[in-house]
Amino acid sequence: MIDKIVASFDEAVADVPSGSTIHFGGFVSPWNNPSYLVAALARQGTDEITAVCTSMGRGPANARNQTPWLPDELVPTDFWDVGLLADLGRIKKGIASFAVGSRHHLVYPFEERLAAGEVELELIGQGSLAERIRAARAGIAAFYTPVGPGTAVAEGKEVRDFDGVPHVLETALHADFALVRAYQADRMGNLAFRGARTYNETMAGAATITIAEVDEIVELGALGPDQIHTPGVYVQRVVERPGTPTTSWEQSS
Amino acid sequence: MTAEPERLHPTVMAHVAARDFEDGDVVNLGVGLPLECANALPAGREILLHTELGIVGFGPVIEDHTEADPFVLMVGNLPVTANPGMAFMSHDESFAMIRGGHLDVAVLGGLQVDREGNLANTQFEGKPAGNLGGAPDLAYGAKRTVILMRHTTNDGAPKIVERCTLPLTTPRCVDRIVTDVAVIDVEDGELLLREYAPGWTPDAVQAITEARLTVPGDVREISL
Repeated sequence: MIDKIVASFDEAVADVPSGSTIHFGGFVSPWNNPSYLVAALARQGTDEITAVCTSMGRGPANARNQTPWLPDELVPTDFWDVGLLADLGRIKKGIASFAVGSRHHLVYPFEERLAAGEVELELIGQGSLAERIRAARAGIAAFYTPVGPGTAVAEGKEVRDFDGVPHVLETALHADFALVRAYQADRMGNLAFRGARTYNETMAGAATITIAEVDEIVELGALGPDQIHTPGVYVQRVVERPGTPTTSWEQSS
Repeated sequence: MTAEPERLHPTVMAHVAARDFEDGDVVNLGVGLPLECANALPAGREILLHTELGIVGFGPVIEDHTEADPFVLMVGNLPVTANPGMAFMSHDESFAMIRGGHLDVAVLGGLQVDREGNLANTQFEGKPAGNLGGAPDLAYGAKRTVILMRHTTNDGAPKIVERCTLPLTTPRCVDRIVTDVAVIDVEDGELLLREYAPGWTPDAVQAITEARLTVPGDVREISL
């Protein structure tokens, strides 16, 4: 019998070794971020991470201003992004589209460590980042894209003209682990998303082990074939979020 | 020295940028000032708004949180209206849509634009790195790239320059610049001053612009 359900987040990330390359799904929102997987990874102590993600994360101190339109009492208490791991000094390198806070006074944990020379950064636009991840999932080694030539992104990379337009060669970006967030899953690892599917759908299957954090695990068959966005083939583990949100990343889940 | 004439309010700037959206246009709005366009769409036209994280066809930003669906957020995590016909996608699909040339207009913020239409909008002063976001893809992929920005920096330095000095987001991509004092088109290495804010003159706009502006005979005052 196929059963990819794991009982706890701690168990789901127990074997993630230091030095891993990890895809972090979502788009820095409490509702599409694999927060409990990030928190479990922080508790587990995985170090020297190469983090692939859209943003290097705001970190715990800035989590509140991610949702300025919500009154305090409705702000999710269980939102932890990759910034938590940067804050704890667990990141060796970031491969991301957003590396720093978008305002002068908004300083991300990764940004502080970058300024101190403690971490490496590969800055790349979202289109090439997403396509490099998709390529890894699809077994494509590399692709040419017209986005990048004439800018710093193309430095040191092959540039070739197609129909007179310069294209830069971008390579696939495979990870050891992908941490993604979905809305529902079944025991086969089939995933259904709610809302914009962000990097969660892009990353599922682009790593050796894809772990999905879901709002709800449903009976096999409850998700019909038309409702499944990511076939379970791409997913190795699923974990259900707690019914009652925790309030600290240090709390086991 | 006489006081500078009043500059346009961001809401008015957004209306100036949005007034040219055509019925059926697919439009992406960058963070910051461009987001204001979501609430300044021309009446009577169906505009499909696209956002990087994977939504196309949403409506205005929702101010009242009790009506917001937290699963329907645009960039900046702002809750938006779920219009009939709206569709969700993955990030890779969303950027395939951008790079594949399926967007009509991208409205982006800018730090510098030069005479050749080069755009720099990713590197903030005093920061150890920049934020590319989806700007390189949007500026390249959209059929039309409109930059919505203040005409000068907070310190009064020009942002429309002879040659960008900040790291480039995308070369030769800008079609139009809408600022708080002017509307300028980029055509074949020339900056054509199309419109100026009420109270301003072409000379006054040139005085705060580093790059030389060409002033066509039909230049006129901005009107909505």
